[in-house]
Order: sequence, then structure tokens, then C-alpha cells
Amino acid sequence: MASFLATYDFLLVAVLALTLYLPLMAGQLSVASPGFYALGGYIAAIMSTKIFPPGPGLYPVSLVLLEMAVAAVVSGVLGLAVGVPALRLRGIFLALATIAFVQILGVVALNLDVTGGAIGIFGIPQPFSSAIQYMWLAVPLLVVSMLFVARLERTRTGRALVALREDELAAAAMGINPTYHKVLAFTTSAMLAGAVGAVSAHFINTWNSRQGTFDTSVNLMAFVLVGGSRTFVGPVVGGLVLTALPEALRGIAGVDVLPAWLAAFLRDGRLIIFGILIAIGTVFFPHGLITPGLLRRLGRRGARPG
Amino acid sequence: MSLRVSVSISTIAIAVLCCAMVGLAADPPIPIGVSVAQTGPVALAGQEQVLGAQIAEEYFNKHGGVNGRPIKLIFQDGGSDEPTAINAFQNLINVAKVVGIMGPSLSQQAFAADPFAVRAKVPVIGPSNTAKGIAQIGEFVSRVSSPVAIVAPNAVKAAMEINKDLKKVAVLYAQNDAFNKSETETFQQAVKDLKLELATVQTFQTTDTDFTAQITNVLNVKPDLVIVSGLQVDGANLVKQLRDLGYKGLIVGGNGVNTAAIFPICKAKCDGILIAQAYSPAYKSKINDEFKSVYKDKQKKDPPQFSAQAFTGIQVFVEALRALDKKSPIAKMELAALRVELNKQLISGTYDTPLGEISFTTGPGMGGEIVQKQAYVAQIKMDPDGTKGTFVFVK
Amino acid sequence: MNRTFLLQQVLNGLAIGSVYAIFALGYTLIFSVLRIINFTHGAIFTIGAYATYALTGSQFGINGLLAGAALPFRLPFVLALLGGSIVAALAGVIVERLAFRPLRARGADPLLTLVSSLGVAVALVNITQYLFGAEPYSYPDPLQGLPSAVNFGTAAAPVLVRTVQVVIFGVSMVMLVLLTYLMNATRTGKALRAVAEDMTTSSLLGIDTDRLVLLTFVISGFLGGVTGTLIGLSVGVAGPYFGIAFGLKGLAVIVLGGLGDIPGAVVGGLIIGLAEAFVPAQYIAYREAVPFALLFVVLLVRPQGLLGRAQVQKV
Repeated sequence: MASFLATYDFLLVAVLALTLYLPLMAGQLSVASPGFYALGGYIAAIMSTKIFPPGPGLYPVSLVLLEMAVAAVVSGVLGLAVGVPALRLRGIFLALATIAFVQILGVVALNLDVTGGAIGIFGIPQPFSSAIQYMWLAVPLLVVSMLFVARLERTRTGRALVALREDELAAAAMGINPTYHKVLAFTTSAMLAGAVGAVSAHFINTWNSRQGTFDTSVNLMAFVLVGGSRTFVGPVVGGLVLTALPEALRGIAGVDVLPAWLAAFLRDGRLIIFGILIAIGTVFFPHGLITPGLLRRLGRRGARPG
Repeated sequence: MSLRVSVSISTIAIAVLCCAMVGLAADPPIPIGVSVAQTGPVALAGQEQVLGAQIAEEYFNKHGGVNGRPIKLIFQDGGSDEPTAINAFQNLINVAKVVGIMGPSLSQQAFAADPFAVRAKVPVIGPSNTAKGIAQIGEFVSRVSSPVAIVAPNAVKAAMEINKDLKKVAVLYAQNDAFNKSETETFQQAVKDLKLELATVQTFQTTDTDFTAQITNVLNVKPDLVIVSGLQVDGANLVKQLRDLGYKGLIVGGNGVNTAAIFPICKAKCDGILIAQAYSPAYKSKINDEFKSVYKDKQKKDPPQFSAQAFTGIQVFVEALRALDKKSPIAKMELAALRVELNKQLISGTYDTPLGEISFTTGPGMGGEIVQKQAYVAQIKMDPDGTKGTFVFVK
Repeated sequence: MNRTFLLQQVLNGLAIGSVYAIFALGYTLIFSVLRIINFTHGAIFTIGAYATYALTGSQFGINGLLAGAALPFRLPFVLALLGGSIVAALAGVIVERLAFRPLRARGADPLLTLVSSLGVAVALVNITQYLFGAEPYSYPDPLQGLPSAVNFGTAAAPVLVRTVQVVIFGVSMVMLVLLTYLMNATRTGKALRAVAEDMTTSSLLGIDTDRLVLLTFVISGFLGGVTGTLIGLSVGVAGPYFGIAFGLKGLAVIVLGGLGDIPGAVVGGLIIGLAEAFVPAQYIAYREAVPFALLFVVLLVRPQGLLGRAQVQKV
């Protein structure tokens, strides 16, 4: 069990799923998160290998937190710079613009010396002596982001975002500034993705242009589509289940319970499963499995006395 | 004595006897991990490595194993990307509890996965990692693949012998791969050291399929020699398109195209590529002859470099285990201590392998860097119809 | 820059561009009729390439579930190309029936269809990889008798373009002419444009929209298969994932030319090809970013593309 938890960063992935959810609250499909995730990772990698000299022993956790903060700020600034012009676009056009953004970042990352080019940066110092201790960072990050989004849904800004999602023209006519709110969601999402990237860089120990690509976007879309796109619980649960499940099955596969071909399929065919889930999801449960309705029903059942 | 007491004593005696018998039973085979590319684009090279390792396992077990104890190879697919290699390493270290790991296939993967072995104090032998800085990853990282810095210049020298008027050189390399980036630095340095003119340097990606732009730039400087550092698919495509567009001069290929797997891609146009080799089937030694004959029985052709290097990697582990066992019985050692001692032992040894005579040099913070006495250069010779080809040794 | 070099760069650009153009034709055709971005085009293109490979009787390599499989017969290349493209067309139809039709039936947002097509594309490509492995394959060369390059310059100052690229350029021009003729000069074309304008009204007017949508996917899939095979001929089949890479670049091409505009697809493709060819030698490392930078700029400045009409938001 410990080895499966240690080889997988599914908690961090769940937070990444939230970064897709935030713009989606305003009805915007933005797949830019992997780009900010990559950026955050590079910032942490560069800071911990070049700026703060790696001493003997463990890397101080306070510096990791500092890196996360810097990553969040830089991602936020870049998010603003890209978001303000890009978020005037609607629907498909925004999605395409964010796809282009991630691709461009990937090429740039591949070519700069400071990012290590193709080799990337390896030997990133570890703040913990064993992988499972990353929970100290991952769990608070997940909990804080979930609380933040939950609060957001109840504030005026959150309701404005939902209004934009339902009908942008009507919302604008009622005085809600669409660009301001969309940029807000986009930038917050960028900051969160950057922070996750910073932690992941330490977790995976090496960082290069293969982290945070188009494939990551596809994974995130699967989480949101399957988990639920109307409530923040959805993407988190989707992320946890869809990443932990194949790993757990991979563990079971090792115990010779499943026939060999099925074990191999679960191990290697993850993207096939995700792709099919996305396709099925859009047709049969476009709002995902966990909807506000479901949560209300569960809440009611729990509140019944006796 | 009451009945109850005697029954208890007998039970305890039998239990102790059973445990002693279990203890006296044959020691389990020594697990050695192998993590190479069994899937993905690099799998063609990986398959050759798997074969070399399996031949080594059979061979050494037939010749007494480690002082009577057999070895057992545990294979965990390293794939062709870093996360897969990392997962494979962690599985071998923590779950399969191997005494050492041979792998991974790519230098790129080594930079990512080896640090985990270094932290866990598990010895790693790279069978095909040739980039700069591999042994410097940590004290537990060694390699039996001669670094490109040593091997590559030989091919350029061989080209100069074929074309005595060779002056202008064009270099192309895949910039998104660690190994190729490292290899091209060596090639470019060699060009300068040999007083040739470096007319242009062009980059491409290992994922590229169309090289017209780069080739146009290359042909524009009218080079006598083109040096290509890429992986199989891109490297072979590049050579094919280079020939298609009329380049008639010499071509030197790096270690990435050092495999028969490029023949289906460039076919007849692969003919003439010069590639430095770390292994020659023609090298005369007892172990190489035996290795070659076993390989030929199975595959009906001479063994390729990747198989020979994989065989050598396992050989180093086995012979180091034997030497270590003679000094202090490994059956009595805890796994952690065994791994540390094995690492020290393998770096200090010399070995007579199919690659030739090898030993390791080391330094502070690094593992074993290979010192190999023999070096070779081969030229590809294709049949006129382009379906079959061989590596013909020129030096 | 001397004239020969300039001519060479232009021809290189046109050669690369015609590859993008021929890919974008199928892509944009679907958008023109159905107003959706069909990302599975990249996967269909891959399936076509692999089907042609199988039909030439060639054997599949060691990776993948069907290792070492080969069909018991072998077809000459052109027939295999046609056969492979028909397989691709069939695949397109299956995708349409299973993934897009249910979404269309409930009037789903085009964004949802885009997401669904992404999922299907990724699934298809990975299934192909699972079955056939990620090894590179090449076709038995049908152009073997011809010289490998065509010289557009003089003997003293040669300007060479690979023969297979000339063939691809030719094919893309023929496809463009055929498609434009179909859309503008035939009754079917008129019906297709009616469906594009307004599907409900067209069906009320007696047009069999369902059959026309099917036809669109058949043509698009066939085009995709032809493209995949031709590109495989030019640079080898480098593994199923090259379909995804093309799918992404194809987005840049169709947006630049104008979503849904058929000549626009060709114009977009050629422009991007030329842009890539004219990247100065020292920046060649950034060449991959060029189509996406162009895409980003076009989206900000003129989202309807060069030849498209401005989209008017109706309230």
C-alpha cells in the first residue's frame, strides 16, 4: 500500500483537476494549466538547484514553500498577460488558444539553457526522506484549494462566474463584467497550477519539457468530465479515482489475480480507458458523475434522523 | 515427566529441526534487476539488450553461477520515457529487492532514474548510456558503455582516411534528447581538434519527420562530411532525405543509429554510413567466441553492440559477486550491506568481456567510468535491393 | 540571399505546406458542414496509414498485441492506398455514429463535441499502438523507378525537391479542385451547404441530413487515409502518435485559413509551410512553435481566419 502511495502523486493531480474546474465555472474551457504546471516546476527546479545551493541533508521545507509562492506569483503574472487578450475569445477559440499556449511553452522550455534544454533539470533536492512524507505538502494543498473553491462558489464572485457560464450575454447585460471575472478565474487557476508544479518537481526529482504537455490536458479533461463539472468535489474525486484506480489495479495485477492480458491492459492501456471515458462521459453524463443534485440528495439522506 | 511436557518438548524440537533444515536448504538464486526499453520506440534496441542479458544469465548459471549459487534476472520494463524507468527502478529496489540493476536504455532515462538508486544505495550498471556525466550522477552509478567522448572521434578519423581531401563538415543533432546533445558536443570538438572546418550546425527534434529545411541549409555549405546525431527513426529518415536530395559525400552516424533497425527506414540509402562501435564480433577472445556462438545459434547472425554490452553488464555483476563472495560470504550479508559492498567490488575489478578488456576509473562522488582498451569503426553495407545490410568493420 | 536559395526555400515551404493542406482539407470539411472540430481526424489519418501498410502484405513488428501479424495477400501500393483510405473512411463513419451522433441529437455545445473528439482520438491512437506497437514502418516503395528528387533549377544551381513531395503537392491540388467542384457545382454540394447553414430547416425541406452527414464523414475519412499514407510514404510511419501531432498542427492550419473554408485550408497549409521553411537557420530549434504562435496571433487578431467570414453572434 505504501509503495503504491509513494509511486503516485494522485493527490497533486487532484489539485490540478481543480485548475481546470476554475475557468470551467465561468463556462470557459481552458487547457492552459499544464503550461503553468510546467512553469512552476521549472521555477522550483531552477531555484533549488541553482539559486539556493544544495547542502548536505534534506532541503528545508520552508524553501519549498517559498518556491511554491514564487511559482504561484510568476504563473499569476503570466496568466494575466496571456489571459487578458485571450479571454475575449469564446468557446472553441479559447480552447484552441490555450492549446497553442501550452505547445509554445513546450518549445521554449526545450530550448532555453536555464531550463536545461532537452535534458531538463535533474537531481532536484528532496525536502523529505521518503516519498510518503510528501503528504505533508500535498494534503494541505488539496484541502486549502478545495476550501478556497468551496468558499468561492458561495461568494458573489462565484455566483457571477456561474451566471457567466449559464448565459454570458444575459450576465453582461445585468452588469457583470465578463472579462474581469473570466480573467480572475483563469489567473487563479494559473497560480494554483504553478504551485502544484513546484511541489511535483521535488516529488519527481527531475523536470523537463515532457512534464505538462497536451497529454496532461487530456487526463485533466477526463477527470472533470467523469468526476463532475458542476461542483468542485467532482474534479477532485475524478482525479483521485482515475489516477489511483489504475495504480491500485496495477498492484493487484502483480498478485496474479487477473489474467495476464487484462493486467497488461490496465497497466499500459490507461490512455485508452481515459479516452473512452471522455467520449462516453460527454454523451451519457456531460455534467459528470458527481453533480450538485447528487450531493444534495446525499446531504438530505444524511440529515434524516433515526 | 508428564505427557504434556514431553509432547511440548518434542514439538519444539521438531520445529527447531524444521527451521534448521529450511536454513540448510539451497540458497535462493541471487536476484539481479534488468530495466531496459521493452516497449516504446526504443524497444528495438531494448530487445537486443534483453537477449544479451538472457544469454548471460544462461551462460553464467551454466558455469557455476556465483560460486555455486545461480543468479536470476528480474525484468521490469523501463519503457522509452523517464516516468516508466523511474517506476521500474523503484519496483526493482523495493519490491523485487535486487542486489543491483542493469539499465536503463537511454541516457535521458538514466539522469532521471539513477538518482533513486543512488539514494537507495543500489549499484546500477548502464549498458548503453553514453552521454557525458552518467557516472557522475552518484557513487552507485557505473557504465559499461564507452562514453561518446571516447568513441565518436574514431568515426570522424575513419572518414578522413577514406576521403583524404575532407575539409568541410556539417553537423546535425537532435536537440530534445540528452544523449544526442552530449554526443554532438563531442563530435563538434573532434572536428575542431582534427583541424576541419565546421561549416554549419543544424538542429532537429527526435519527433521530426521532415528535414528539408535543415538539409537545405546543409547542402548550401557544400560539406564533404555530414555528422548525424539522432535516434533510430529520425536519424534514418534524415539520412534518407539527405541522399534523396542529392548529397553524395560521407556520412558519420552516432550511437543512436547504431542498429540494424534503421535498415527498413533508409533501405538502400543507408549504405556507407560510418559508425563508431564499442563492440566487434571479430574481436578474438574466448568469451567473445562463446558469446557469439550462443547468439548465432539463436538468431542466426552476429551479435549487435547492444546485446554485447548487456551481456557484459551482467558479467560484471556476476564476477564481482564471485569475488566478493570469496572475500566474505554474501549469503550471510544483509541486503543493504551486500549492495554497498557489491558496488565497491565491481568498480575495483577488471574483466575480460566480449567488448574486450575493461576496468573502471572512479573519483569523488561518482561511480565507475569504463576504461575499454578496444575501439572499432564500422561502415554499413546494404544489398542493392535495400532489404538486407551488414556492419562491415573498417578499423 | 541569392535567388537559388530563395527558390529552394519557397519550394520547401510549398512541399511542407501541401502536406498540411491535404490534412486540413478533411478537417475543415467537417467543420464546414457540421460546425464541429473533429480532432479524431488525426487518429483516422493514422488508421489509414496502418491499414495501407497491412494491405501491402507487410508484417507488423515485435511490439503490440498483434506482433508479427501480416495479411495473407499483398496488394500493389496504389490499391493498398485506396483500400487503406476506405478503411479510414469506415473508421470515420463508426466514430460519427458512436460519438458524434448522440451529441448532435441532443443539440450539444460544439465544445463538448471537441472534448469528445479529443477523447476518441487519444483512445484510437493508443488502441493502434496497443495492437501494432510503436515501431516505425515503411511502405514498399512504389516510386522506386523514378529519380528521388526533381530538379527545379539548373544543373549548375540545382534546386531539388523530393519526388514524393512533388506527388503530394500534386495530389493536394487535385483534391482541392475536386472538393471545390463538389461543394459548388453539384447538387450534393448544394445540399451540404444547406445543411451547414441550418440543419433543421434543411431537413424540413426534405434533405436527408443524416445521409449527408454520413457522406461528409466518408469523404473526410477517405481524405485522411490518403493523407496518412502519403505522408507515411514520404517520411515513414513513425508510430501512431504522429497522428496527434498532426491533429494539433492541423488546428493551426484550419484556423489560419478560416474554419470551414475549403480553399482556406490549402492557403493556411501553404502559409504555415512557408513560414516554417523561412525560419532562419539559427532559430531552427523554435520552428515547432511557429504554427502555434501563428494560431495564437490569428485567434487574437482575426479569429475567422484569412478567408473566413466574421462570425456574428446572434442574440
